[in-house]
Amino acid sequence: MDILIIGVLLGGAYALMAVGLQLQYGVARIMNLANGEILVAGAFGAFWFFTGSQVSPLITVIGYAPVAFAANWAIYRYLMLPLVRRSKSEGHLEVDSILATFGLSFILVGVMLALFGGEFFSYSFLEKPFDIMGQPYEQNRLVAFLYAAAFCVGLYVWLHRTRMGLTLRAVSVSPEASRRVGIDVAGASALAFGLGGAITAAGGGLLSTFLVFDASIGIIFTMKALVIVIMGGLRDIRGSIVAAFVLGLTETAVASLIDPGLTLAAAYVVFILVLLFRPQGIFGRRAT
Amino acid sequence: MFEARHISVAYGKHRALEDVSVTVAAGEIVAMLGANGAGKSTFLKAVAGLVAKDAGGGVALDGREIGALPPHEIVERGIALVPEGRGLFDDLTVIENLTLGAYPRRARASESENLERVLDLFPVLAQRRRQVARTLSGGQQQMVAIGTAMMSAPFMLMLDEPSLGLSPMLCTELFRTLARVREARVGILLVEQNAKQSLAIADRGYLLENGRITGEDSAANLADDPSVQAAYLGAASPA
Ligand SMILES: Nc1ncnc2c1ncn2[C@@H]1O[C@H](COP(=O)(O)OP(=O)(O)O)[C@@H](O)[C@H]1O
Ligand SMILES: [Mg+2]
Repeated sequence: MDILIIGVLLGGAYALMAVGLQLQYGVARIMNLANGEILVAGAFGAFWFFTGSQVSPLITVIGYAPVAFAANWAIYRYLMLPLVRRSKSEGHLEVDSILATFGLSFILVGVMLALFGGEFFSYSFLEKPFDIMGQPYEQNRLVAFLYAAAFCVGLYVWLHRTRMGLTLRAVSVSPEASRRVGIDVAGASALAFGLGGAITAAGGGLLSTFLVFDASIGIIFTMKALVIVIMGGLRDIRGSIVAAFVLGLTETAVASLIDPGLTLAAAYVVFILVLLFRPQGIFGRRAT
Repeated sequence: MFEARHISVAYGKHRALEDVSVTVAAGEIVAMLGANGAGKSTFLKAVAGLVAKDAGGGVALDGREIGALPPHEIVERGIALVPEGRGLFDDLTVIENLTLGAYPRRARASESENLERVLDLFPVLAQRRRQVARTLSGGQQQMVAIGTAMMSAPFMLMLDEPSLGLSPMLCTELFRTLARVREARVGILLVEQNAKQSLAIADRGYLLENGRITGEDSAANLADDPSVQAAYLGAASPA
């Protein structure tokens, strides 16, 4: 029961970071390996405002969203778009963007190391107990989960009920058809990339309320987000959300039943099983 | 009035189009006939801004030059393309496809009237609004493709072999529909292998061979021309 609840609570924040990566990959077609560093930057932001001026992370993650959006928009516009323009095929772009964002991740790690040093950091926010069925859990985990859930639902509704959301889904389905109906594909991609970055940063801020971070831990979260997005089937954010819970539960179960050191290994076992038996993802559709 | 002047296109060293000029007046249906590989699709893509044109050519709509604009701006000016193989948003629903057709700013104001017109032209689509495009029959997908183009309220509609893969009955229905679209003063450029039916509804026609225009005449004269009959209408079934 314990495992189930902690796993689900963890899955909520995972869902948010993965959905950010998915928007970037699905719409802008950039596999962003610097996604984890954006997440860590979000965690640093929440930490800094909380310890420096007692601003609740719940406010900070919304407050810095425009900054995160603008930074990621600019990354797409000035670093990625030239690659997109000169790439001859989607495969070509994939290789280029993976190399470029991998390089970017080192730059970001370096900047964060210079700004904040290499220490682990954490802070106590809402560390009060909260009872679910007679068992105490930390409030911060519950609040982070509810917050993440609200973000995910909001994003889903936005994607499915507004013209702009429809535009992003259109580009994700077919850039070519999008161009033909008059969509500025580069503009829509920059928007999705910025939005995805802002969402990932918010996920980082929420995770920092109950996890310990350091400047170079981003790569681990990039890998987790990748596992989730590929497991979810790449196409629909609902797939990623469910996959995030699968990962949250798996990690929690392995950590408490076997050994906390094995969580990442367990994530990979799940990942490899999915790739072997359902390469299109748990919820993906087989390519026709 | 749509005018494409001196359009040339090369894919690397391969010259696919050489100095092609085509005009289409408002409300006119113009057929472009040509064998496989003649360059028909290339011409339509060049007009839509989807492949690069050589310098020296131009595309104008009502006298305004639009040849150098990016694809999304060309749609904005009123040229819509129904591509070969339909090119729908496969994973989106019928109504989402049609809504996206009305993406150009120019088309937003009249979006609901255009939708009504499209659903009136293709009543099946009204029943299947929420169905995912990929799961429709070939004929229904073609209707979505044409409907999506119509939603952009175009002045000029270009269709790349729309009858490909349709049953003879659906084909006849399709050509009847195009004749109705023309009534809204839309210019139609129809690229077809089905020369018989396209010449039957067209006003004029062009012949394209190896990337060059080799003939231009009224549709009636083309249909009567023995060499056209031999090349495109099949010797066994003269028109
Ligand atoms: N993307 C491309 N790259 C290289 N050559 C192409 C490309 N598309 C078409 N071609 C060539 O250009 C010529 C014209 O093709 P196309 O316009 O598709 O003809 P059509 O539509 O009349 O069948 C053909 O020889 C074809 O092989
Ligand atoms: Mg063709």
